[in-house]
Amino acid sequence: MNRLPGIRLVAEIRHQTVLIARDPGPMIGYAVMGLLLITATRPLYAALGRLIPASAAGGIDQAAAGMAVMFSLFALKVGAAHLLNERTWHTWDRLRASPASFAEILAGKALPIFTAIAAQQALLFGFATAAFGLHPRAGWWALAVCALAWSACVLFLGFGASTLARSPAQLNAAGDIFALLTTILGGAIVPVTLLPGWLHDIAPASPGYWALDAYRCALTATPSQLGRPFEMLGVFALAGAGIAGLIGVCQNPLALPFGRHRRPQ
Amino acid sequence: MTAALEAAGLVKRFGATVALDGFDLSVSAGEIAGLVGHNGAGKTTFARVTAGLVRPESGTVRVAGMDVARSAARVRPLLGLAPQELALYPTATARENLAVFAGLYGIGRREARRRIMQLAGSLVLADVLDRRVRDLSGGQQRRLQAATAMVHRPRLLLLDEPTVGADPVTRDALLGVVRAAAADGAAVVYTTHYLPELDTLDATLAVAGHGRIIARGDRAGLLATVPGHAVVDFDRPLPALAAPAGSLAEVCRDGRRLILTAPDPASALAPLLAAHLDAVAHLRSIELRPPTLDDLYRHLVNS
Repeated sequence: MNRLPGIRLVAEIRHQTVLIARDPGPMIGYAVMGLLLITATRPLYAALGRLIPASAAGGIDQAAAGMAVMFSLFALKVGAAHLLNERTWHTWDRLRASPASFAEILAGKALPIFTAIAAQQALLFGFATAAFGLHPRAGWWALAVCALAWSACVLFLGFGASTLARSPAQLNAAGDIFALLTTILGGAIVPVTLLPGWLHDIAPASPGYWALDAYRCALTATPSQLGRPFEMLGVFALAGAGIAGLIGVCQNPLALPFGRHRRPQ
Repeated sequence: MTAALEAAGLVKRFGATVALDGFDLSVSAGEIAGLVGHNGAGKTTFARVTAGLVRPESGTVRVAGMDVARSAARVRPLLGLAPQELALYPTATARENLAVFAGLYGIGRREARRRIMQLAGSLVLADVLDRRVRDLSGGQQRRLQAATAMVHRPRLLLLDEPTVGADPVTRDALLGVVRAAAADGAAVVYTTHYLPELDTLDATLAVAGHGRIIARGDRAGLLATVPGHAVVDFDRPLPALAAPAGSLAEVCRDGRRLILTAPDPASALAPLLAAHLDAVAHLRSIELRPPTLDDLYRHLVNS
């Protein structure tokens, strides 16, 4: 049996984990901000739920799910930055020149980033449970499945973003705008039912909308309704992966006879 | 015998710029080929094509007889690439950088540890293995980059200006490791602008210009085609001296100094002085300047 792909994958996963651990600031920051905002917004959503019962699932439900969606979208930038770094550090070419396949390289980078995003979700929901008694009525498994599906979606959107951005500053600016827009449209800050009509109409175009919908299903004991949001999250994940894959293939001159070849200096 | 590297008729354009225009180069196992040429001569593009990072419009590159474009999966394990620009992970340590490249080439952890220690010793990096790359000096980063290209013991090593910014001691260390790799049977393409290194490496020479190889061979043979100089100083202004009839020598008289340019300046100088014995009495010094690789390079590029 050929052990080489396994050795390569393990080496890449270990290395990517080291790179994330060496620069933990952004992930810690987004997690801490999430914890603070869950604490601060829970009474607001609870009051809103009492006034307009259709607007929010419940104080802690809305606060935890909303902040999990919002800060995982900000964490998307972190994942994308790790991929963009490979280009700005010129190491991407060295990975491409190595025997590792495109799939091995991507998997080696993706797994640690996915784990970091999923861990962020786990921390936020864990905090909401421990501090405010969050209880997913459809079961913990349903919440875990939602968190994993959403983390995968964020990861693939990050892959797409990393291939489109040309510099860290560009990624940072575009990432912030995308995260905030997706968060607002998804109803993570203001429940969708309270958004202005035109925003309400275009909300389903946001992956955040479907993530929140999935979390709502898990938290309000309607796991049978998870199918639709999962389908949509899959579509968004595929869109991100498609962008990353297309640009990745175009950048590999041995896969296709065209591409964005960089002219050497 | 199959050449370790055989590039034939490579053409690559970037828009209107022709980077490679019929580039041919063959390098044998155990040979160090010094690839020199002006900026934009096609050296880096050639390295990128050979590493499979850029697809040529026409022409082929074969490594150990295998086409780089068609058999990429089998060729890549044989290649070691240290590109011109630094391509390392600045937030990881030197050891972690070496470990990931060893792993990418399928080397297990125990063997990787052994090779890392060995390379670090040879390249004077042992004391900085656990320091982050961004904290290393420019020379240390260069040596580390070369080490990451060699950790899997490639059969073809592409080193693109690996000694930029290195001090003489660390440069010697790097050149020693390159020589050892060649002695172990690796073919090496060594790109540099610092030509004396090629003497240290005992490299053959490939001179690139305008996207193609304009001269190829061993250093001595190529140097023989380039004129050298004899600089003769007198203690009084010179009488009119002329090169003997039929000689290829050129004489440049400049006050009390005579500069003779000829393929073999020593041989050309003797009959010149014999013909002007009155001047010999006022001769103060003779300095023979055989052609250097720099002269060869300028001669080829200018011609």
